[in-house]
Amino acid sequence: MFFYRSIGLLCGILVGVVLCVVFFRYANTDKKIKTNYDERQEGIRNKAYKYAFYTVLFYEALLLFLGVGDIKLPIPSYALNFFGIILGCTVLGVYCVFKDVFWGMNNNKKRYFIVFTLCILLNLFSVIGSIISGMFIVDGVMSFAAVNFMVLFMFAILSIAMIIKAVKDKGEET
Amino acid sequence: MKNLRLKSARAAMDLSQEDLAKLCNVSRQTISAVEKGDYNPTINLCISICKALLYNLQNHSYSLY
Repeated sequence: MFFYRSIGLLCGILVGVVLCVVFFRYANTDKKIKTNYDERQEGIRNKAYKYAFYTVLFYEALLLFLGVGDIKLPIPSYALNFFGIILGCTVLGVYCVFKDVFWGMNNNKKRYFIVFTLCILLNLFSVIGSIISGMFIVDGVMSFAAVNFMVLFMFAILSIAMIIKAVKDKGEET
Repeated sequence: MKNLRLKSARAAMDLSQEDLAKLCNVSRQTISAVEKGDYNPTINLCISICKALLYNLQNHSYSLY
């Protein structure tokens, strides 16, 4: 049973990777997967990666202490580890947004917003579906939909950061 | 310290930050950061900016004749 579940998960991840490739090629103006950044952007992004790394490091250390202390959380271990990845990505994204290096030189913002909206909707449907069917929390533990909920959390934080940045830039221009 | 010489040279060429950024193959925000003095560009970017402005200056002078 667990074997088939793992195979299913692997297939799902592979489909996700293929979709990512298609989405990136669609959203970049030069139809390439890789986003190009200039020298200033590269420098600032290096700093952002450093902060993201330390965030994940501290988070994993925290998880380690929780594990040693045998403290049980109502979230499965895979979701807790996934939250570390999401946390790192969120730190990276928010830092890049505030330092004006989130968008690369070959990014088509409008197309990226379409892709982001699609991702938000897909995750939202999954979360709402599991809440309606009463499967979001089973026996006091969050189900797999917790992963979708964490992705939504990241997009929500990034959206708020982008709005704050846009308002701040508008204020500076006037 | 603001880089007013770059800003005035760009304005003299009637180029927007976006135009100069495209010519130098960098983002508009990078040109803005250089003009505001928030970013110290590498020698490669300095050369690109100089080339871009000189190129346009020559074009401009040619169009006068």
